[in-house]
Amino acid sequence: MTVVARSFVRITAEKRTGPTILEQMSRSPLLMAILSPLAILAVWEILARAQVLDTRFFPTPSSVIVDLFALLRAGQIFVDAGWTIGRVMVGFVLGAIPGVVMGVLLGLSPFVRALLQPAISALYPVPKIALFPLIMMIFGIGEASKWVIVAVAVFFQVFYSTLAGVVNIDRIYLDVASNFKASRWQLCRTIALPGALPFIFTGCQLGLGMALVIVVIAENFGTQVGLGYLIWQSWQVFEVKDMFVYLLLVSLLGYGLQVAILRLQSAVIPWKKVEAD
Amino acid sequence: MASDPTGTLGDSGPSSPALAKIRITGLGKTFQAGKQAVQAIAGIDLDVQPGEFICIVGPSGCGKTTLLRILAELEAPTEGEVTIARSDLSTPLSSMIFQESSIFPWMSIRKNVAYGLVLRGAPAAEIEKSVDHFLALTGLDRFADAYPHQLSGGMKQRASVARAFANNPEILLMDEPFAALDEQNKALLQEELLRIWSETRKTVIFITHSIDEALVLSDRVLVMSRRPGRLKAEFKIDFPRPRKVYDLKADPEFGRISREIWMLLREEVVGA
Repeated sequence: MTVVARSFVRITAEKRTGPTILEQMSRSPLLMAILSPLAILAVWEILARAQVLDTRFFPTPSSVIVDLFALLRAGQIFVDAGWTIGRVMVGFVLGAIPGVVMGVLLGLSPFVRALLQPAISALYPVPKIALFPLIMMIFGIGEASKWVIVAVAVFFQVFYSTLAGVVNIDRIYLDVASNFKASRWQLCRTIALPGALPFIFTGCQLGLGMALVIVVIAENFGTQVGLGYLIWQSWQVFEVKDMFVYLLLVSLLGYGLQVAILRLQSAVIPWKKVEAD
Repeated sequence: MASDPTGTLGDSGPSSPALAKIRITGLGKTFQAGKQAVQAIAGIDLDVQPGEFICIVGPSGCGKTTLLRILAELEAPTEGEVTIARSDLSTPLSSMIFQESSIFPWMSIRKNVAYGLVLRGAPAAEIEKSVDHFLALTGLDRFADAYPHQLSGGMKQRASVARAFANNPEILLMDEPFAALDEQNKALLQEELLRIWSETRKTVIFITHSIDEALVLSDRVLVMSRRPGRLKAEFKIDFPRPRKVYDLKADPEFGRISREIWMLLREEVVGA
């Protein structure tokens, strides 16, 4: 048989040329990540100096950085950040623990779920911050009301994630535990809790983000310390540069909390690879 | 399921049930799916002797798994009863090995194998001894501290086998445990299972859809009909032990019984 060739397709080894600049850049995720914020800051700086942006509202990034260092040197800012972190953590723990407990309980028992979930679901859509006046009436305007409002917000996030986690546990693991005659408590500890842990961490991550939002708003009331208080304060006295510093610190704090919880997650869940970013 | 906490039934029963480890009489299970009732198994009578290795084969959906789940106390029967003679009240009654991977992904292999012993609060030294023993028997000693996601399907099933045996139950219930494995792993695990079984001489009820597997493993093969599953026929399997999987398959007698069972099953599968 003869081959009739009208043309040939040739598959050859790839020519080895060095990576282009773009390829090299995309290999460094950090570089890629900070590129666009840096560009925005640069444009901002130029526009502010050129008086295109109103520096009363948008002070130059360089002047904000100078202000940042001045505030860091003064030191009081660490005390305020500490207060904010403390309020987030206390409220978080107060909300997350009942969230996990209720999530596991409702997840394991269809009876308890049928009994309690409608009530919890009815409360869920209420914007949590709308409850703050009521909470301040009950718990006073001091620290307790801040912890409670954070706890309420965190509770819902953690509760729903835990519930989803427990309900999604493969039935076969429950069958195994039941075949091994696990008690109610052993079932919670050895199956429900570890099985739902990846979901629980997702809930905690969302809850922490929510906690910071709530604290910053709540710090407008009945306190003289905290990053949220400082933001409201700089609004009242029109200290826009300071306000940008506090905003920067709050977002850094939020980022730090997210990183911390992801680290914790990979340490606590060795059976699952966690994507940390 | 009838239970007999005093363990006297074996001595006083009417038709000398002392001989039977498990006595199943008129067992039936009907599932209620909405308004429809589905009869999974019906009128099952069976005596299982202590230390006997029984295989049950049947067409898909014939209720094999339902029967096993009733014996494992995961499901309650709707008719009839099961009486199990307990010889040792300090050890658990049964352990089940499931078809799909059922070892806990959140525990290391060692913790998985120790699970039953830990749950009933066995002394730490006993747990370690027993777990080490069964990890070694199943060739998992090197992977004791690995997590399941680091292991192949075959090794995960080995871990399930080790977990069930380490629990030291009187009865082992196995629901197509090797069905998802490739041929080579299947043959290896069958031989391992026979080796562990010959060492412990537990009563085993093993469900499979593979006639070859049933013949390789068991003392007696029971053939189930299509749904509602009933016991249709039984075959005594007298091949000498210890058995080698591939030697056995070359035996002409093996082929003869295998064919005979297939003809029975064929009616059920085709008729369905």
